[in-house]
Amino acid sequence: MRWPDRLAGVIGALLLLAVLVPMGLMLWSLLEQGAGVISVDFLLDDPRQAGRAGGIAALLVSTGWILAVCLLVAAPMGLGCALYLSEQVPAGTRRAQWLGGTLDMLAAVPSIVYGLFGYQFFAISLGLGFSILSGGLALALMVLPLMIRSAEQALRAVPFSYRQAGEALSISRWGWVRRILIPQAAPGIAVGIILSIGRALAETAVLLFTAGYVLRRPDSLLDSGRALSVHIYDLAMNVPGGMPRAAATGLVLVAILVILNLLVRRWLHPAQGAWQ
Amino acid sequence: MIKLPVLVMALLALAGCGTREDSLVITGSSTIAPLMTELAERYEETTGVQVDVQSGGSGRGISDTRQGLADFGMVSRALKAEEGDLTAHLIGRDGIAMIVNALNPVTRLNDAQIVAIYTGEQQSWSAFGGNDAAINVVHKADGRSTQELFLEHFGLSNDRVKPDMVIGENQQGIKAVAGDVNAIGYVSIGTAIYEADAGAPLRLLPLSGVPATLEQVDQGHYPLSRELNLVSQGELSDAASEFLAFITDPGQAGIYHDYYFLPVSR
Repeated sequence: MRWPDRLAGVIGALLLLAVLVPMGLMLWSLLEQGAGVISVDFLLDDPRQAGRAGGIAALLVSTGWILAVCLLVAAPMGLGCALYLSEQVPAGTRRAQWLGGTLDMLAAVPSIVYGLFGYQFFAISLGLGFSILSGGLALALMVLPLMIRSAEQALRAVPFSYRQAGEALSISRWGWVRRILIPQAAPGIAVGIILSIGRALAETAVLLFTAGYVLRRPDSLLDSGRALSVHIYDLAMNVPGGMPRAAATGLVLVAILVILNLLVRRWLHPAQGAWQ
Repeated sequence: MIKLPVLVMALLALAGCGTREDSLVITGSSTIAPLMTELAERYEETTGVQVDVQSGGSGRGISDTRQGLADFGMVSRALKAEEGDLTAHLIGRDGIAMIVNALNPVTRLNDAQIVAIYTGEQQSWSAFGGNDAAINVVHKADGRSTQELFLEHFGLSNDRVKPDMVIGENQQGIKAVAGDVNAIGYVSIGTAIYEADAGAPLRLLPLSGVPATLEQVDQGHYPLSRELNLVSQGELSDAASEFLAFITDPGQAGIYHDYYFLPVSR
């Protein structure tokens, strides 16, 4: 190998290391502070004394419901919008650029803006109050642009020759979409969903203003419920002696993200034929 | 695919059915919110009345109370003149004490001297009649409400402070100063008073000539303290006044102490 190539390789490896080392340190500090708190009881008990005692079971329930509402709304809407964009709006036209640019701008809006909008619109105007539903819907709004854009890109990446082959066999439009287009684009769509889940689970600002701060286990979608990320923030910043439990909750959140990642990847991978 | 919109519509329709009658909503200051969550938890266990606490800042406590979204707003300061439409119920106080080691001969510092120490202009205790030794400046980490209160009181910005040691929890500050004759620090006043009473080798410095004692804070004379208020609009409902009586009962003082606040004395 010529030396500039070798040098480039070394620089690349160093840069990768520079990214991986801080991530490792971050995980280590979470483990160091929080590992002592984690136990089966921590996962199965409800929090007591504003989170200073007990576990996080109620928060896992709340977070699960918020995420479920978010995905139930955002995934079909996102896929629908992406299908419209990829099927009806030819790439490179002014309409495509305009719509795409708008979506990219929406994706870049700071999350606190979605939080304030969600608070004003879902919680107050629609009268949903501080509730799982308000939180899930506000989160859905936040992740939709990301979801649409990544699904659209995945759909557009399906080779044109497949469409030609489909038309040659005179497959109906719906049949083409359902049996060929979506299964082919599934891995890309899955990545969009994973990214959206990641953003949704990490979100604090939106949820503090919509799903709220209540530690009780929610009885219905109209009850307020605290998400894991809000709990971490509050324990670390506002509760004396809350750091070990904040770190332990952070570890649980990281573990959930990793597991969801693996599951979604496995489910939607075309090699496994899950969409057929 | 058709079922989803139907489900969403049904959920939206459900939302129309009002909230429970015997419940209270309290929103506001993130400083007070954890304390209020814990008090609410006890109240629910005792009476079965559901109390929902929401965080988001003193400003939100005030606007939610005005809009009728909350029965009480949590406000971690005194009400301003233009907020006269609301009634403040003082539940406790939060404050900061400047602490030095009990063996340090310096017994008082004025505000300008404290600023000079924290900005690094004066680096030796000899300038204030103390030992000929370097001053170890103990400062709080970003985001702590004690740090905000400290910076605000002395008119400092965080980048002007030249700390030798940055701490998070109050207990860390106590340990740092109790274990070092040449250290100066600040911690929540509740913590400082309890620890000094319990025998930790600490001296609480008076501020602007006012000694850092429970009585002075209680009467509102001590300068570096703030009120913790629940604010309400109009007449209190029965449920609301019962809750207020419960949380200001002397029996609940322990929870306030856990958060380094001083409960209001009745």
